[in-house]
Amino acid sequence: MKAKNRDQSLSDSRELDGSYDQLTDSVEDDFELSTVCHRPESMDKLQEQTKFTKKELQVLYRGFKNECPSGVVNEENFKTIYSQFFPQGDSSMYAHFLFEAFDTNKNGSVSFEDFVFGLSIILRGTVNDRLNWAFNLYDLNKDGCITKEEMLDIMRSIYDMMGKYTYPTMQDDAPRDHVESFFQKMDRNKDGVVTIDEFIESCKKDENIMQSMQLFDNVI
Amino acid sequence: MAAGVAAWLPFARAAAIGWMPVASTPMPIPPQDKRKAQDGLIILNVSGTKFQTWRNTLERYPDTLLGSTERDFFFHEETNEYFFDRDPDIFRNILNFYRTGKLHYPRQECISAYDEELAFFGIIPEIIGDCCYEEYKDRRRENAERLQDDEDSEMNNDVTPVNLTFREYLWRAFENPHSSTLALVFYYVTGFFIAISVMANVVETVPCGFLPNRSKEVSCGERYALAFFCLDTACVMIFTVEYLLRLIAAPSRYKFMKSVMSVIDVVAIMPYYIGLVMTDNDQLSGAFVTLRVFRVFRIFKFSRHSAGLRILGYTLKSCASELGFLLFSLTMAIIIFATVMFYAEKGSPASKFTSIPAAFWYTIVTMTTLGYGDMVPKTIVGKVFGSICSLSGVLVIALPVPVIVSNFSRIYHQSQRAEKRRAQRASKEAGQALVAKPPSPPFESQHHHLLHCLEKTTNHEFVDEQTFQANCMEISAMHKSGSRSSSMSSSPHGLSSCCSRRHRKKSSFSLPSTNNQELSTIQIRERPVVNSRSCLNAKLDETVPLKCNEPFITPSMVSLSAPVVTSSGSDGSTTTTTAYSQSNIVRVSAL
Repeated sequence: MKAKNRDQSLSDSRELDGSYDQLTDSVEDDFELSTVCHRPESMDKLQEQTKFTKKELQVLYRGFKNECPSGVVNEENFKTIYSQFFPQGDSSMYAHFLFEAFDTNKNGSVSFEDFVFGLSIILRGTVNDRLNWAFNLYDLNKDGCITKEEMLDIMRSIYDMMGKYTYPTMQDDAPRDHVESFFQKMDRNKDGVVTIDEFIESCKKDENIMQSMQLFDNVI
Repeated sequence: MAAGVAAWLPFARAAAIGWMPVASTPMPIPPQDKRKAQDGLIILNVSGTKFQTWRNTLERYPDTLLGSTERDFFFHEETNEYFFDRDPDIFRNILNFYRTGKLHYPRQECISAYDEELAFFGIIPEIIGDCCYEEYKDRRRENAERLQDDEDSEMNNDVTPVNLTFREYLWRAFENPHSSTLALVFYYVTGFFIAISVMANVVETVPCGFLPNRSKEVSCGERYALAFFCLDTACVMIFTVEYLLRLIAAPSRYKFMKSVMSVIDVVAIMPYYIGLVMTDNDQLSGAFVTLRVFRVFRIFKFSRHSAGLRILGYTLKSCASELGFLLFSLTMAIIIFATVMFYAEKGSPASKFTSIPAAFWYTIVTMTTLGYGDMVPKTIVGKVFGSICSLSGVLVIALPVPVIVSNFSRIYHQSQRAEKRRAQRASKEAGQALVAKPPSPPFESQHHHLLHCLEKTTNHEFVDEQTFQANCMEISAMHKSGSRSSSMSSSPHGLSSCCSRRHRKKSSFSLPSTNNQELSTIQIRERPVVNSRSCLNAKLDETVPLKCNEPFITPSMVSLSAPVVTSSGSDGSTTTTTAYSQSNIVRVSAL
């Protein structure tokens, strides 16, 4: 008798039987071991490049490594982690934008360095740095200006995080209205886009925004 | 999960920078994090084995011994460590629970020792992770059964408890023959009579010699008709009495009558009574004779006496589909070969294969390799196909049978396991409704602040599902009444909804001390809204009835200690529990 190799006979049997009985399946599917393991640069280097102290870096890394033992976060993981903070709504879109903003070298994964650089700007940067980072987040195609469509996407993603059960009830055009008011405030020359200078200028003029920027001083 | 999530909270809060430029209202004040530089190593000396971990790790679960101030009782000053005089091997699992959030149960440990350690360290066993939960429950059940058996054997030596009613006593005696001597006697007597009855049925058909006035040999049943009749009567009396007693004693008579055993009982004794009722009528006597066949069902009464028989019946029942498949494939093969043989043998003179149904008999006998030889093919074509038939018969029969046999054992074990797991899941979910992992308090307040910022950004507030439905109904009601000035009606509505939710929460779960705190400080504040957008419940002058914010959904361990309430305008919080339902954020008033 010709000895078929195991995979061939297995696939034959799977073909013949439409309702393949999972219970009798004793062959394990090959699961791909993600052998990607990324190690960050040394702590001294990171300390020079960011504004965190050694202790803070340690705490951050321990938390990072706990959730992502392989040393990098891919977008799926990122979304999962972020969604645990917003159980009521759908935070996947906003998490996607965040991921794009953190992943500065556009390689599809956020390493610890990316993570820490981003956090350093937000938590330890000057107001200008923070506003720059926020602008970068909004500017989806990174062309230097925010269009209404981009802002609408961002706004929708933020509103999605609220979920369905809100008070007052969420209207469908709530994001659009909000975008309109945003552009009214930010777009000085009314050309339909907000450039980085307009953005920073308008934000600096707004007291609420300035005050809220102070929030990030004490996060870590 | 709480452990990992807590570590990423700073990231989530930093990510909120994306909302700031967009928000039009000012953000709430963040909670003060007092315990900033508290993270140090703690040494835990458990009977000489030293464990070390971060202080923060232990404080993730403040309702356990290690996470609360209770551990100070074990602080050993001379060596500056916490000393516990307990089992270090089991302690390893407990410490891992703090680290990873999952409690594992090691298979080699004794279940009672493990339970004791868990109880000592204040950890509720329902948190055991899914990977080990089944094993844990199994062992626990075995242990409980063992204890129960011990108790039972003690109880058996006592006088039977008098608080059982006669009916319960009788039922117990029937179901468990070892419960009393009388029950045992009854058990053996009925077994004996079943055996006697079955043997009598068998023996009465044996030929027994010649009667003087008959030429034919008669069976014993006819020769000693009276004796057999008396024997039969006695047996049926016993069976009837037994059946009636069981019927009386059964806790649920309807259920008893539906059960298989009672049907067998009835079928076993019916022929006798029908025979008594019927006269010697020629028309009916034929039917009566066939009824006597049913007397053989008495043998199935043995299944009460034999667990193995019950198991066999159950597995046959559960393998019905496999058996059906076997039958179907055999039927197909039989029809095919019978047809072929019929047409092959048609030409032969004096062929026994008179029709296709007649050929069925040949096919069955050949395929099961019986080969009686009463029908044999005579033509060459017939012989060729006959040999193909017998060869394929071996295959067709031999192939499904091992599958069925293995299916028997697999399905049997699987159904046992599935039953176990179902029962476990029900009790596990019930247990976990009361229990789960709380995040550490500073994490909570920071998380609430984060969600509050989101609310401020979007100018909407989180509510739970019930309130949302109530709001929708109120909106439609308001539309009907046509009232435009909704500000006055909306704010008391907001108040009442918050209060009602609080009431509901209070009745569903017990965190008494925190409730008192909340109820005592209901603040009504007026806050100007910079950007009042027109929405359905137009709250033009925004009176925020209560500074509500949503608590985090993870349930908390049942404890009486109030969660940490941070000060100065930030949000204290409490948690309610819903077993894993992530759609239920209940708003709670805050200090």
